[in-house]
Amino acid sequence: MSNQIVFDNVSKFYGDVLGVNRVNLSIPPGITSLVGPNGSGKTTLMNLMTGLIRPSRGHIRILDMSPDQPEELFRVVGYCSQFDALPKGLSGYEFIYSYLKLFGHDAEACDELAWRAIDLVGLREAAHRKAAAYSKGMRQRIRLAQSLAHNPRVLILDEPLNGLDPLVRAETIALFRSLAKQGRHVLLSSHVLHEVDIISDQVILMSGGYVIAEGNIQGVRSEIDDQPMQILIRCNRPSDLASRVFKEDHVVEVRVHNDRRGLLVKTSNPDRFYLLMNKVALDGINIESVAPVDDDVNSVYEYLIGTEEVTR
Amino acid sequence: MSQPNRVASVALEPEKEARVAPAAPGAPPVIELRGLSVRLGKREVLRDVTCSFSGRTIGLLGPNGAGKSTLINTLLGFWPASAGSARVFGSDIRSEAKKIRGLIGYMPENDAFISNMSAVSFIRLMAELSGLPPEMALERAHEALFYVGLGEARYRKLGTYSLGMKQLAKLAQAIAHGPKLLILDEPTNGLDPPARQRMIRLVREMRDSRQMHIVLCSHLLRDVEETCEEVVILKQGRVVHYSNLEDERRSNRRFLELELQGDTGLFMEAVETLGCECAPGALNRLKLVLAENVEIADIYRIAAEQNVQLRRLNFRRDTLEDIFLKAMENSDGRL
Amino acid sequence: MAVYKRSYRGYAGTLTPAWSRFLVLYRFARRTQSRSKVQTVFFVLCFFFPLLCLLGIYANSHLSAFAFLGRRAGPFLEIDGSFFLVYLSVQSALSFILTAFIGPGLVSPDLANGALTLYLCRPLSRTEYVLGKLSVLVITLSWITWVPGLVLFFVQGSLSGWQWMSDNLWLANAILWGSFVWILLLAMLSLALSAWVKWRIAAGALLLATFFVGAGFAQAVNAVLRTQQGYLLDISRLVSIIWQNLLRQQSHQPLPVPEAWIAVLILYALCLFLLMRKVKAAEVIR
Repeated sequence: MSNQIVFDNVSKFYGDVLGVNRVNLSIPPGITSLVGPNGSGKTTLMNLMTGLIRPSRGHIRILDMSPDQPEELFRVVGYCSQFDALPKGLSGYEFIYSYLKLFGHDAEACDELAWRAIDLVGLREAAHRKAAAYSKGMRQRIRLAQSLAHNPRVLILDEPLNGLDPLVRAETIALFRSLAKQGRHVLLSSHVLHEVDIISDQVILMSGGYVIAEGNIQGVRSEIDDQPMQILIRCNRPSDLASRVFKEDHVVEVRVHNDRRGLLVKTSNPDRFYLLMNKVALDGINIESVAPVDDDVNSVYEYLIGTEEVTR
Repeated sequence: MSQPNRVASVALEPEKEARVAPAAPGAPPVIELRGLSVRLGKREVLRDVTCSFSGRTIGLLGPNGAGKSTLINTLLGFWPASAGSARVFGSDIRSEAKKIRGLIGYMPENDAFISNMSAVSFIRLMAELSGLPPEMALERAHEALFYVGLGEARYRKLGTYSLGMKQLAKLAQAIAHGPKLLILDEPTNGLDPPARQRMIRLVREMRDSRQMHIVLCSHLLRDVEETCEEVVILKQGRVVHYSNLEDERRSNRRFLELELQGDTGLFMEAVETLGCECAPGALNRLKLVLAENVEIADIYRIAAEQNVQLRRLNFRRDTLEDIFLKAMENSDGRL
Repeated sequence: MAVYKRSYRGYAGTLTPAWSRFLVLYRFARRTQSRSKVQTVFFVLCFFFPLLCLLGIYANSHLSAFAFLGRRAGPFLEIDGSFFLVYLSVQSALSFILTAFIGPGLVSPDLANGALTLYLCRPLSRTEYVLGKLSVLVITLSWITWVPGLVLFFVQGSLSGWQWMSDNLWLANAILWGSFVWILLLAMLSLALSAWVKWRIAAGALLLATFFVGAGFAQAVNAVLRTQQGYLLDISRLVSIIWQNLLRQQSHQPLPVPEAWIAVLILYALCLFLLMRKVKAAEVIR
C-alpha cells in the first residue's frame, strides 16, 4: 500500500471562481505545512483531500484510497476544520464519544478511545463541561481531539494552533511530532511562519490557487536559483570581514548593514561561504551572529508570494 | 511568480531603535493595580493582582483562563472589582470609569463591526461617540484609515471585508479619537504573514510616535517580543511574572542557538568536551550554553576542524519563551 | 522640497459635551434611514391626515367660505376629545407601520457582529445607549403624532379665541401624554424585539404578532373564562382605554383605567428588562 497522498493534475472551480488549478503533489509521511495568503486555496485543497468537495478535474488518492468513498476514507483520515463550531448541548466528552460511535465501536471501546484523545489534548478536567462554555483555546483542543480520536493515519488540520496559548502550542506541536514519527501524515496549514520553519518536514506554498513551491524548505530555497543567498553576519569589524570575504568569487554583493554592526552578504555558493566563515572566525574577527536572511519560510514566502497590499 | 533581485527585509531587531523613555516623572503610572480582585459569578477570576505599568508598551501574557480578558474588561469598567483598586492615569475605575474610557482605545479579539455600514461611517460614529465634534470625527476617521492602510476600500460596507481588513478597521476605530492608552487583544489573529507584518509594523510605529501607551495581549510570543518592552504574565488570576524585556535580553549573553549542516553528533561531542552544555533542537538546530572561558571563536574552531557549516548562529532569541515557560513552571513546581 | 511623513497624531482638541452623546446615535440612524426612499415617502405621507384635519378645522371656522355653496351650514366638526381620538387612532396606526420599518434594524446590527462592545468601551453607558436608540423612534414618531396634534390644537385655539384654549388646555395635555404612551410602547417593544431577534423581517412580524395575537388571545381568554380581564393582553385595547380616559370620552370601558395604566407600565418594565439583558458589553462564560 502506498504511503503517499497524491494529487494528479487536480483543479477545482466554484462556478467561475478559481479554487485550485493544476495541482500535482505527492505528499510523504511526516509534518507537511500548507502556507499561503488567505484565499490561496489551502482550505480548498484540504476539502478536496477529505472528499468534502469533488475536483472539477484530476484525481486524488489518499494512501491508495479515493476521497469519494467516505466510509473507508474517514477511518484513516481525521479532519479538523478552521471554523470554531461545536454542536450545542454536548459536553466535550459526549462530543467525542458520539463521533466515535459512528465508527461502529462498542460503548467500551468508544469510552476508552474518547478518554485517550481527551488526555492527549489535556482536557480531562473540563471533559464533562458543556463544550459551548469552553474558552477559545479549549474549543480548538476538543476539536483536535475529535479529529484524532479514531487513530487516523492521516491528519488534516486547518490552522490547528489558532487561539492556543504558548504552552499549549508547544505541547500540541510535540504531539504532532510524535504522530509524525509514527509514520503518519500530518498536514496542517498555518500563518505563523517561524513555527512552520521549526516543525515542518516539508512545506507547500500556495498562492492564487496554484502550488508555487513544495518540498523541504532548504531545498525550496536552493531551487530559487535566480536569487543568490543572502546572509547577515554581525561582527565587531564589518569592514575587515567585508574585504576578507569579497575576495571570494562566489560572493556577489557585500553591504554594510544600516546599523554599521553587520554585513549583508550575497553569495551564489552558500556551502563554500559557510566553510569560509569557519576560517575567518579564527582570524581575530569576533562573530556575534550569523543568520541566513532568506533561508526560512518567511523569506521564501516573500520571494514567491510577496508582500501584497492587504486591501485588495 | 518570483520577483528577481528583491532583498528580503531583515528580520533581526535593528539596534538603533528609538530609546523610548517611560512616562514623565511625577506623572501617575499608566495602569496601577493594587490587590485587585474580580469575581464573576461564583469564580474568583482575578486574585490580588498588584502591578504598576508606566512604560510605552507592555505585553499581557498567560494561558487561557488566566484572567487576561477579565483584566481588560475590568479596566474598561465592564466588570466591577470585588476588592482592591485599579487606577488608569491616576483615575480610579470605580468612580471615574467614563473618564477612563475616554482615554482608552480598545481593539477586541472577536469580530466587532456593523456589517451594513461603510468603514468611514463606522469609524465616524465611534469617534463621535468618543466625544469628537462631527467635522473633526470625519477628518480623524479618514486619517486613521489612511494610517492603517485601508484605501478606497473604506467606502465599502464592513460586511464585505476580508479578515485582514476587518482587523485594520478595528485598529482604526481604536485610534481615531487619539487615546492615550491603546489595548490590543490578539491583533494578528488569523492574519496571513504580510498582513501580520503590517500590523506589527503599525504597532511599532505607534509605539515610537510616543503619543500613547500600548497594552498588547497575545498568544504569539513573537508578536510580543517584537513590540513590547515590558511583559506581565498572568496565571490563574495572579501575576506570576513581571519583567523588562530589554534587561532580560542584555543578560542572555551565554546562550547560543546554532543551525548546523554536517555531523551534528560529533560536533556536539566536541563542544561538550570544552565544557559547554548543549541540547539538540528540531531539524539540525542546537542550543548551547557557553562555559566560563569559552568564546564563539572556539566553537568556530571545532566547526573548522570537523568541516561543519554553521548556517545560523545567534544569542538566544527566545527570551520570552524561556520567561514564559519558567513562569508557568514556578507557580506549581511542575509544568 | 518638503517631505511629509505619514505618522500617527494624537488628538488634543475640544470634545462635545457628555450629555449630548446619545444624540449621536439618533443622527446616525437618521442618516441610514434617509437613504431608504420608501421610508421617506411614507414619512411624508404620514402628514397627510393631519393636513386634512387642519383643513377641516379651518373650514369649520370659516363657514362663510362655504356660503357660495348656497347652504346654511353650521360647524360640522366638533373639535373636542372625540375629534382628537380619531386623530390619535389614525396617526398611531401610521406610526405603528413606521416603527415596523425603523425599529427592527436598530439594535440587531450592533449585536450581530459584536459592535456593542465598541459602543460601551467609550464614555457611553448602557443607559445612554438605550436612550439614544429610543430617541430615534421617539423623535421620529413624535413628528407624526403629538407635534401635528398640538399644532392642530393651537390653530383651533387661535381661531376660537383664548377662552376656548384655556377651557380645553386639558386637551393639549391629553394629546401630548396619549401620544407619548403609544410612542414609548412602540419604541420599547421594537427595541426589545430588535435585541432578541436577529432577522429584521422576523422582528417586524413579531411586532405585528404582539398586537394581533395578543388581541386574539384576549378574546379567547374572555370567552373561556367569561371575564373582561383578558383585555389585559390586548395592547391596543389598553392604550385605547387610556386615551379615552385622557380625552374625557364617556364610554363604557371593559377594564378600569388604573388597571390599564398598570398593565402598560408593566409592559414597559418588561421590555426594558429584556432589552438590558441583551445590552451588555461582555458575557460571562460559566
